[in-house]
Amino acid sequence: MNAAIRIAREEWRQWRRSRLAVAALTIFGVLLIVTSVLTAGDMLDARQDRLHQQAHAEATFLDQPARHPHRMVHYGHYVFRAPAPLAVFDPGVDAVTGQSVFLEGHRQNGAMFADARAQARAGGFGDLSPAALYHLFLPLLLIAIGHAVILREREARTLGPLLSQGVTGRQLYAGKSLALLAMIGLLSVPALIASLSAIPMGEPVSTALGLYAGQLLYLCVWGALIVLVSAIVRSRGVALGLLLLVWFVTALIIPRIGVTAVGTSLPADGKIVSDMRMKEDIRKAGDGHNAADPAFAQLRANMLAEYGVDTVEELPVNFRGVVASTAEARLTDTLNDYAEQRMARERAQSDGLSAFGWLSPYIAVGAASRALAGTDLATHHRFLREAEGVRFDFVQGLNAVHAEQLAYSDDINRSSDPQAERRTRVDPKNWKVLRDFRFTPDTADVRIARAADSLLALTVWLFALIGLGLWAARRMSP
Amino acid sequence: MIRELRFLLRDRAAMLWIALAFILSATAVTLGLAEVRQQQAELAEIDRLDRADRAQVLSEQSDWGGAAYSTFHLTSDPPSDFAFAALGQRDVSPWKHRIRMLALEGQIYETDATNPDFALTGRFDFAFVAALIAPLLLILLLFDLRSGERAAGRLELIEASGAGAKRVWRTRTILRVGGLAVALILPLWIGGAVAGTSVFTLLAAALAVTLYLAFWAWLSRTAGSAAHTGSVNLTILLGLWLLICAVIPAMLTQAIDGAVPLPDGGDIVLTQREAVNDAWDLPKDATMSAFLDRHPEWEAQSGIDRPFEWKWYYAFQQVGDQTVEPLSRAYREGRAERDRLVGFASLVSPATALQRGLERLAETDVRASLAYEARVRDYHARLRAWHYPNLFEDRDFSVKDADGLPAFDSGDAT
Repeated sequence: MNAAIRIAREEWRQWRRSRLAVAALTIFGVLLIVTSVLTAGDMLDARQDRLHQQAHAEATFLDQPARHPHRMVHYGHYVFRAPAPLAVFDPGVDAVTGQSVFLEGHRQNGAMFADARAQARAGGFGDLSPAALYHLFLPLLLIAIGHAVILREREARTLGPLLSQGVTGRQLYAGKSLALLAMIGLLSVPALIASLSAIPMGEPVSTALGLYAGQLLYLCVWGALIVLVSAIVRSRGVALGLLLLVWFVTALIIPRIGVTAVGTSLPADGKIVSDMRMKEDIRKAGDGHNAADPAFAQLRANMLAEYGVDTVEELPVNFRGVVASTAEARLTDTLNDYAEQRMARERAQSDGLSAFGWLSPYIAVGAASRALAGTDLATHHRFLREAEGVRFDFVQGLNAVHAEQLAYSDDINRSSDPQAERRTRVDPKNWKVLRDFRFTPDTADVRIARAADSLLALTVWLFALIGLGLWAARRMSP
Repeated sequence: MIRELRFLLRDRAAMLWIALAFILSATAVTLGLAEVRQQQAELAEIDRLDRADRAQVLSEQSDWGGAAYSTFHLTSDPPSDFAFAALGQRDVSPWKHRIRMLALEGQIYETDATNPDFALTGRFDFAFVAALIAPLLLILLLFDLRSGERAAGRLELIEASGAGAKRVWRTRTILRVGGLAVALILPLWIGGAVAGTSVFTLLAAALAVTLYLAFWAWLSRTAGSAAHTGSVNLTILLGLWLLICAVIPAMLTQAIDGAVPLPDGGDIVLTQREAVNDAWDLPKDATMSAFLDRHPEWEAQSGIDRPFEWKWYYAFQQVGDQTVEPLSRAYREGRAERDRLVGFASLVSPATALQRGLERLAETDVRASLAYEARVRDYHARLRAWHYPNLFEDRDFSVKDADGLPAFDSGDAT
């Protein structure tokens, strides 16, 4: 073991003497720190803004004057998704999904105002986040610094003497790996700080450290690959070319080709197409504004029979409100069916893309990182579902008010009779049917479970590469 | 020259990178064409469903107000004949909308988006290959040009041949850059022939790509010196690639977004909603007089006698749009301004310049997306202009007259 530590220390001395290595490390360090600070600033601002907007939206709803309850159904409400604390490291799908949803009766709206749409479009890889730097570009730095760890000894003809002095191939491998591991440890410090800084904002320690561990695991996969290539290849040019090719294929090509492959094999209908298909179904469910709609004939007959009366005017409840409530429930079933289908398809697509993680550690770490940070697609879907829950509850709450507090005769005459219209306005205290909404990320277990597959892929990569490295180390010759 | 070409053909590493460039470009073009075909197919399908739906809905109507409320109209921005090369903004901005005659501001920000994980990863299109991958391949082709000869002990020999040496390097560089350019552009032209792209567009794209590669060749030549070993040169060039292809564009985005703040999108829809909803409680005259500011021609018919009348309902929808006009215009102008600044900034950021240039040719840039939005707004205005006489003159509804509803022309540029 001592031999390994000596070798690692010697490697570090080499790096410290190399102006290029020091310069590359410094520049990258600055880039990491600047990006971390900027991303954290943006995310904290966004968090504050949205929590504020949420409180404001709730206050505005409750402050509405007396009116017909169905007007409040159409007045609607907004819910906002504040970014998860760990978004300071990995903002995930936040920029492309939009974070506010308008909730109203009879409709499920999508999330609006994705940042990506309004951003200055300057090309390149778009906005950089700490996660993007770690996943996409840090491997490049490791390749540049580390591709020669063993090769250098070979090229300087010091490998032979080393091996003949009793240092075994495995010790050499262990020493060089240790040197690179220490480098990875140093480079991962900003990720550690970002993860830890999320804890005071309410992030569980397990996910914060899990996120950090995921990055570490990914960088170690690259470290193991670099030492392996450095051990088996005979020239720097070839080692660099080979490592770059692997980076190139796994980080730039497979993910994007994966997107198209999954998109073609599991095509998803756009919202417009599925909305139109849904409309067919909804026509069958009946129009809740029109109590005379034939779709409600059965409901009417049942209610008349239940209360033993002959006309809807004699019912103790406002039949229009009952219709609105029934229609909303039926409609929501259909809406939810379609929404669930759409989300299931998106989830299948994303799972399909994640499966490419077995081919590309870049995809695996991206999926794991977003899942652990609570900024993945599944979290966005949960937001949409919870928003729908809020929507359904307040709409049905208002429909109950509509059924119980309004007289049917006033309700049907309100378009022509100003007096009746005034009587259909209910007291604003009824607006309290709206419940507070604060979106929080999934619990730690759920997120860790979701990241498990991708973390497993990374672990398998790591062990396979270490296994190959040890095998190569045993056969190492000058 | 011929001798150098023979050298190049025998250089296995060089041929590998050039072959890779060809394969990647061909793949990108194929995937791009497939994506465009899929978008066209989806538009055709929506168009069919849309017509059927509208015919069905109109057949159930009894008055013009209800007809205007229930009929949706499809608008679309079909992919251009060069969109396959640069899908650009189409992944995040809408290229299809179904709108109706309610307040437009409540409808126009909806996005029929693709899977967010896809948008996050990005597309494998020609613009990506040309702007971000090709420089890497070029670096791999050129970094070892001189240092490799030095390592092989031939550098002095070549340099010693005097005036000829410069020519040798130049010839080798030109052959490699040329080979890479051909490998990239050939699939693009074949794709263009399939998609029916104009020759001018294809030539312009080829020119842009060639200039971009020439820039990178110059940079590799300047930054890579024979004195360093190949791997040092390569590291330096990779650093430059990272700077030019990732860091500078990201910094530009950050700086420009910071310099041109946009109104919060949420505020636009929120204000619009307040305006539309408040109208129910306001005196009808307040709404009608705001409406008449824009449409004095309906003054005589603007009296509202009952608690609910369709013409009043649509008047307050329009007033809702009028109320947020300043915000909405600021939002659009802000996006246009950001885009204009990116245009200036692309003078110092070659990767931005190439991607932007290709997206311009493909009409998939911010400008094209804003132009589509403007066309939708125009169309919505025509829809209103068509419906107002029916509502204000209290005409009887007839399905036959609804044939005259204006249709969105996806080709009419503004």
